[in-house]
Amino acid sequence: MPVQAKSVDIGEVLTQKSRRKDLFSAVLPFCGLLLTVLVLSIATKGLLLSPMNLVNIINQCFNTAIVGVGAAFVFAHGGMDFSVGASCGVAQLACIAVVTQLRLPLWVGFLAAVMVGVACSMVVGMGSHALHLQPFIVSLCVRSACTGILVVGCNALGKNIRVPLDVFGIFNNNIVKTIVLVALVAFSWYLFEKTSLGKEEKAIGGNRVTAVQSGILLGRNVFLSSLILGICVGIAACFQMSRSGTVSASSGNGLEFNIMIALALGGFPMAGGSAARIRSMIIGVLTITFLTNGLTLVGLDSEYVSLVKGLLFVVIVAVSYDRSNLKQVNFV
Amino acid sequence: MKKKPILRAMQVNKNFGPTRALVDVDFLLYRGEVHGLIGENGSGKSTFSSIIAGVQSADSGSFELNGEPYLPRNMVDAQNRGVGMIVQEQGTIGSIDVASNIFTGRLEEFSKFGFVNMKQITARAQQILNDIGAGDIDASAPTMSLNFEDRKIVEMARVMVADPDILIVDETTTALAMKGRKILFDLIKRFRASDKAVIFISHDLGELMNVCDRVTVLRDGRVIDTLSGSDITEDSMRRLMVGREFEDHYFRSDFVCSYDEEVVLDAQHITYGSFTNLSLQLHKGEILGICGLSDCGMHELGKVLFGIEKSLTGRVVLPQDGTQVKNPHIAVKKGMGYLSKDRDRESIILNASILDNVELPSMRLLSNAVGYISAKSERRLAQEQIDVLKIKCRGPKQRLTELSGGNKQKVVFSKWLGCDSDILILDCATRGIDVGVKAAIYRLLEQIKKKGKSVILISEELPEMIGMSDRMLVMKDGKITAEFRRSEDLSEEDIIRYMI
Repeated sequence: MPVQAKSVDIGEVLTQKSRRKDLFSAVLPFCGLLLTVLVLSIATKGLLLSPMNLVNIINQCFNTAIVGVGAAFVFAHGGMDFSVGASCGVAQLACIAVVTQLRLPLWVGFLAAVMVGVACSMVVGMGSHALHLQPFIVSLCVRSACTGILVVGCNALGKNIRVPLDVFGIFNNNIVKTIVLVALVAFSWYLFEKTSLGKEEKAIGGNRVTAVQSGILLGRNVFLSSLILGICVGIAACFQMSRSGTVSASSGNGLEFNIMIALALGGFPMAGGSAARIRSMIIGVLTITFLTNGLTLVGLDSEYVSLVKGLLFVVIVAVSYDRSNLKQVNFV
Repeated sequence: MKKKPILRAMQVNKNFGPTRALVDVDFLLYRGEVHGLIGENGSGKSTFSSIIAGVQSADSGSFELNGEPYLPRNMVDAQNRGVGMIVQEQGTIGSIDVASNIFTGRLEEFSKFGFVNMKQITARAQQILNDIGAGDIDASAPTMSLNFEDRKIVEMARVMVADPDILIVDETTTALAMKGRKILFDLIKRFRASDKAVIFISHDLGELMNVCDRVTVLRDGRVIDTLSGSDITEDSMRRLMVGREFEDHYFRSDFVCSYDEEVVLDAQHITYGSFTNLSLQLHKGEILGICGLSDCGMHELGKVLFGIEKSLTGRVVLPQDGTQVKNPHIAVKKGMGYLSKDRDRESIILNASILDNVELPSMRLLSNAVGYISAKSERRLAQEQIDVLKIKCRGPKQRLTELSGGNKQKVVFSKWLGCDSDILILDCATRGIDVGVKAAIYRLLEQIKKKGKSVILISEELPEMIGMSDRMLVMKDGKITAEFRRSEDLSEEDIIRYMI
């Protein structure tokens, strides 16, 4: 039957077409990263990929990567936390206060930083969950509160608080950093892609009602994701203050925005769901770090770097935002 | 009388990704005719009608309307040329009033210097509602306050605003109870009498037989045959749709009311929404039917039994170990499963794969002590379910957005079969699903019953109730008004008496 034969052929062609489309959207962020690196390498005459600058890059992407993988759990279930930069600052303040003012050992300071991080992300996560508020709004409030605490705290302790690098040396060791980074990313990847925790977070992001009706506990998942994010913020705080050498009112500033751009550049779905991948987060973080670093190397002022990042964010979101969720128009 | 064609379609083709939705479809619609369009889910009937209504465009082929080339750019264009459609899905906006819904997109006609004359709109809307026999709906009421059926009637009124020559009704009756159906059928009759035309899409073969002058059968995107007059019988339609003879029984073959004495689910004096102080018991191996009009409270009852909504009084208990079903988490853990009436919004994740959906309630069983789920075990689970339920797909990784309604419904079943649920609460399990999948679901329910599992079947379709359940509870205004046991003599009339 010739008709039958023809239709089978077309079906096969179209199947391949749709596979190609899936592949395309998976590969696109990779290409973005490669293109960024390529263009900026040429623009900086190879300076971008020099060994010294690569160490810089690793240092610069360290914080965004650590907080990013933590944030992935929150974004996966459709949550969001815009307060991570400010809470990272307060965590640094807590850590330095414990170590220099209370003269307690470093590990207590570390614990204090983690606790502040967890407390902030919990207020955002569990607060919005319990009060049925938009997590974005709650996180803005927390961000504002944290900024205030940071300013007041820094003023009380003397504007730019110097971090005693002899005590914090361990957080400035490149080997320690690499081990922590690799271990955290690997562990997050395992949790996110291979365990029921990650799968449940993504299910909630895909369809909250369905997830609940399938027996998934919303509160438990919001709690765990906030916990993971908080711990990551605490860890990042200790490393960041040790690198910059001071804690000030601008500590942690801009971290949340870098994470948002990393999400967009890496192809991580903003509303969460089954397409969320740790891989996307990492690619995004690398791209944004190369971009920031490269543009600075080219000689662009930091204000202009911010401008470029902002424009890029709008363009990427406009081009790549998955609108298929909007198609199921919610009339109720 | 020589019949005049009003709409002609020639060699229409349409593809969705890898799916060939329409293949060289020819179609002829005469004036004064009600033309049925039937086929299994995914056969292309909704696609075809939505192309006529301007919702989407064909890949190739042509249309003629009243002898002139017809190629609607969008739905409004189609409406202006006299083609109106009442769609399958909920299409009203809840947050605005009824009149604004009826005149959506036409508000400019009533506005001066940017101010909209709401009084005039409300009056016109009420006039239209009265005209179609739905005068009891208040045009100034917020749409949210209406029930599902009345909102559907508002959509009918909206289509009538443009005074169309061709009315397309796409599986609307599944959402309608008696009142809505009467209004719809009166409307259809009026179209026929005034020499206009209706394209009527439905899964209800009895209904099609009663209303249609001709019926075109689609299968896999192709026109199989067009029946007319006395050739339109339930048997002939079913045969053409599925492409093979049906076994002689469609519902359960036995007429014995059979179940164990053991109670597996016990609802005691529960109260929620429209029902108060309601008690019922489900037995091991029983199919318990709950039927009534759509606003009788049976849908809320299903949700309370599964712990989605909290009962204000009393409790829902699993007698084996005394567990109280307080939330869906406990329900699922204790082997219960729930299929929502609103499948796409509540029972599946559209944008995820079959695998992601099937494993939703099973993750607890698949994972080890630290929560690890091996890729192999989840794939095996999904593939098993695809094989058992014969889900038409490319594989476990295919997204649900690409599946037809019937196959999506199968995915919901596979969710609960995959975790071996003992109690299934099914709210309108066969709503908007073609006969092929329907029959498959009925066979499945028989098997589930044979294995000693229990089912609560909530449905508005009485043949299904009578055909499948061991015991039937009839609900009206939040109360159980009658209980019937399975018997051969039970008729729909017996039940309807207690429903209205």
